[in-house]
Amino acid sequence: MNNVIEVKKLSKSFKVKVKEKGFIGSLKSIVKPKYKTIKAVNNISFNVEKGEIIAFIGPNGAGKSTTIKMLTGILYNDAGSISVMGIDPTKKRKKLAYEIGTVFGQKEQLWTHLTPYDNFKFFGAIYDIPEYVVEKKIKEFIEIFELSEFINTPVRNLSLGQRIRCEIVASLIHEPKILFLDEPTIGLDPVVKENIRTLIKRMNKEYKTTIFLTSHDVGDIEKLCKRVIIINKGEVVLDDSMENLKYHYLNKKIIEVKMKEKVNLDDSKGITILKDKGYNLKLEVDTKKTSISEALKKLDSDKIIDINISNVPLESIITNIYKGEK
Amino acid sequence: MLMEVKKELKFILLSIKYNLAREMTNKVTFLTNIIFMILNNAAFLIEWIIFFSIKDNIGGYGLKDVVLLWGLASGTYAICFLFFGAVQELPNLIMNGKIDSFLVQPKNVLISILTSKTKVSAIGDLIYSYILLFIYGFSIKNFLFFTLFIVTGGIIVTSIATIFGSLAFYITKADTLTGNVMGTMLNFDTYPEGIFKGAIRILFYTIIPISFAVYMPLNILKEFEIIKFIAVIIFTLFITLIAFLSFYKGLKKYSSGNLMSARV
Ligand SMILES: Nc1ncnc2c1ncn2[C@@H]1O[C@H](COP(=O)(O)OP(=O)(O)OP(=O)(O)O)[C@@H](O)[C@H]1O
Ligand SMILES: [Mg+2]
Repeated sequence: MNNVIEVKKLSKSFKVKVKEKGFIGSLKSIVKPKYKTIKAVNNISFNVEKGEIIAFIGPNGAGKSTTIKMLTGILYNDAGSISVMGIDPTKKRKKLAYEIGTVFGQKEQLWTHLTPYDNFKFFGAIYDIPEYVVEKKIKEFIEIFELSEFINTPVRNLSLGQRIRCEIVASLIHEPKILFLDEPTIGLDPVVKENIRTLIKRMNKEYKTTIFLTSHDVGDIEKLCKRVIIINKGEVVLDDSMENLKYHYLNKKIIEVKMKEKVNLDDSKGITILKDKGYNLKLEVDTKKTSISEALKKLDSDKIIDINISNVPLESIITNIYKGEK
Repeated sequence: MLMEVKKELKFILLSIKYNLAREMTNKVTFLTNIIFMILNNAAFLIEWIIFFSIKDNIGGYGLKDVVLLWGLASGTYAICFLFFGAVQELPNLIMNGKIDSFLVQPKNVLISILTSKTKVSAIGDLIYSYILLFIYGFSIKNFLFFTLFIVTGGIIVTSIATIFGSLAFYITKADTLTGNVMGTMLNFDTYPEGIFKGAIRILFYTIIPISFAVYMPLNILKEFEIIKFIAVIIFTLFITLIAFLSFYKGLKKYSSGNLMSARV
């Protein structure tokens, strides 16, 4: 058995106070508070194997962070069972902490007044790692993850990108078997994003760390992950390999053409007009129903100035799944 | 078990070390903070000296007793804020979902949270409290008892603040409550015990047990009684246990929260 994470029928709801508007409303909510239950995570099950890089994605409010918080022992679950490295997070929180690393893009773990170097040493001490081992480890990290430029600058003076890099490295001091990353690339520029992705990949390769990642950035998912779990409204709507996900949509092609003259084209079997600006057209062709050549025949080839045929981008595949279309 | 305790103790000291390192990034503020605290405390004592020049016995306490009382009180708070400086912020941390990072660390959550902050002014309090002990009368015995009692006192105050702070897992106004309780303890225990009679006295021994934190130790230092000594020790252990139980019970209700946040 190679599963490092096993989640069965996991659920979690939050109780939130409902406030009515105005003064009377506030008064009412003090005297007789009304509560609303939000089902953040609703009966989800999945497994993760050792060494995988998993994309755990879904629209805002889908329940991703809530799930990660339950897996890492921050939140208690209402129902269902969790096993991470064979440990129940609610029962053996400390034991679990040695096995996992966590990075929340929106929450800082480093002390801002200390330098990354001191932060790393403090983290080492938290995990009872002997000082000389930590020092050796830091040296290794400085090399692998290129931190030498700012290793002795207080964290509060670092750029967001440098800081996130240090956050991730800090979570590796104790060599976790699984790393949970909740939106690690949020707010970063493309170059830094690429940097972080390289770091994550390297980690997975060099230390065989299992990576559990959430992100709204399709680039992260496409470049890093071999498997995708999509959740929406607290439920798993897709759990498949990246290849399969793409394959299902590969039979759809996008044709973009620029014409010399206006053409009038309507939706027909297997062809959907996505955009029609007279001279510029964007079509989606379902190759199961009609072939590309059939579609092209509908266009007068002499009048074509420019043409581009491409696959449906992952972004819109995912958007469609979020919207509940297939 | 013993190994665990040793590890936690080592970790507490290390936290303080890093906290102080953090505070010391600005050396001038660091030193002024300490010195001002000593001056600030001394100013209060002057009030009492004036007070005593008018009437030489208040609530059964002479000037020397008041000096010792002040010493114990400021030592107690020094220990609390030196080692467990974040206790005041506990309800805020809970309400704003800021204890996540402590929950993913392999250390006792409550201890990690409480030790995550050190008040520099507490060093001033601590120095001041020993100055007062010297004024009261120094002996090895006094020194040892005094040190023991400011530690037990500090633990008692921290525990009570933790118990009230843990209410933040259930209700939203726990921060003001903790603030009030801490403030009340801070204010009362600098006055001679005899001023307070009846119901308020019972309160001191129960909800606001500064009695165990300060008054009983004072009496023991004046005249040793084994019963009182044991009572102080047992109460300290008891209230610590209650603090841990309240916190961990509440933790099951912790809801994290999604605020963007930074550690400062
Ligand atoms: N502490 C909380 N108290 C009340 N409701 C909460 C709390 N945390 C999350 N929720 C609610 O639970 C649902 C899931 O939230 P969650 O943060 O898990 O979403 P997410 O998938 O991480 O979204 P995002 O992509 O925006 O980060 C949302 O409806 C949210 O409002
Ligand atoms: Mg989230």
